[in-house]
Amino acid sequence: MTRAIRYTEAQALQGHRAGFASRVVADFIDLAVAWLLGLSALVAAGLIGYLLTGPPFQLPVLPNWLDGSALGVVAVLYLTITWAATGRSVGKQIAGLRVVTQSGRRMPLWRSFVRAVLYVLFPVGLLWILASRRNASVQDLILRTAVLYDWAYHPAEDAHPGEEHR
Amino acid sequence: MERSGAMVQDGERALVPVASELAGTRTVPDGRVDVPRLLAAAAFGVAVEAQRRSLDAAAVVAGRLGRPLRALARPAVAVAEGSVAVARHHLDLDGWAERGLAEQRRAREVAARALGGLIATVVTAVLDEIDLDEVMARVDLDRIVRRIDPNQIAARIDLDTIVQRVDVGAIAERVDLDAIAARIDLDAIVQRVDLDAIVARVDIEAILARVDLPGLTEQVIDEVDLGEIIRESSSTMASETVDALRVQGMRVDGLVSRIVDRILQREGQRQTGPPVDELRR
Repeated sequence: MTRAIRYTEAQALQGHRAGFASRVVADFIDLAVAWLLGLSALVAAGLIGYLLTGPPFQLPVLPNWLDGSALGVVAVLYLTITWAATGRSVGKQIAGLRVVTQSGRRMPLWRSFVRAVLYVLFPVGLLWILASRRNASVQDLILRTAVLYDWAYHPAEDAHPGEEHR
Repeated sequence: MERSGAMVQDGERALVPVASELAGTRTVPDGRVDVPRLLAAAAFGVAVEAQRRSLDAAAVVAGRLGRPLRALARPAVAVAEGSVAVARHHLDLDGWAERGLAEQRRAREVAARALGGLIATVVTAVLDEIDLDEVMARVDLDRIVRRIDPNQIAARIDLDTIVQRVDVGAIAERVDLDAIAARIDLDAIVQRVDLDAIVARVDIEAILARVDLPGLTEQVIDEVDLGEIIRESSSTMASETVDALRVQGMRVDGLVSRIVDRILQREGQRQTGPPVDELRR
């Protein structure tokens, strides 16, 4: 279901490479989503333990070394799946962005995974967007991907979401 | 004049004296006797009578001696015919005959004129005598009318021909419909209509019973997709918010890019076009 875009400036920029602000907002939202997912996983684990061991109900306490990396794992899983499926995570959905390869195709699963790992390990790579003439982050340069303004709806079966904007 | 007319008409045998004629002959309007006319008429009467009697005698003689005489006469007639031919040649018989015939014709014309006058006189006298009113009184009109067959008359009338000759358009033009309409009193007509009685005869219950209200209601609800309306409105609200956020993001993107480019003292715009286009180049 494609709905009409009422802003002419937004219409003109559809398919163009997104800038720094939009992408950072989207990534912060995704971070929040990943944190909520991790929290949900903890709550789910606590509930299961409660059901198995009985009261009292308490969230499982992860060891310190695992605490940070657990969030990272959740984030990598979340981003890999969403980017590979539709090219857009929840944050990118809200911001109206979509991740595609430089040829405008949907990213394959392995590239999504590598991209997600790189972002989780090296989020500072986003700053290169400011300097890049093509609004590319370090990860985009490595994996030859791009993030576009794309408000339109594309089903998961559509392998060429970016080609619409030629 | 009248005398010679009567003579020509009736011949010598029928010459019988008429009372009025004798009176006219014998007297003049003042009562005195018209002697010359009386004498002339008497002489004529005597001559006519003598002629008639001699003819009668001749007829009797001829009747008795007819055949032998005719047999004897044949040679004489032949002689006479021969002599007539001679006389005709020498004595100008044709001329005399012509004059005789002319005289005959003149006498006949005079007689015809006299007869016309006589008829007019007689008819006038007859008409004076007849009382037309009396005649009409004796005519039985009822009986005449009874013998008239209207159907037969009607059968003989060709109505089609008559109707074809009637100019309906001309008649219609002469009819003033406005004047007729103006003479119609609609108020009076409406006042005579009893609306209450008409309404009282309408069975509203029966009409309502024939209307399928539940069916109609279901149809209306089927037509209105409430779910679709709710979805539309909620998604519209959500998308409006999201669109506003996205556009703000785009504007900030552009602003940040320009600031950075100015700091880096770059010239020209960023190449942020669709990646597919880049691949083409």
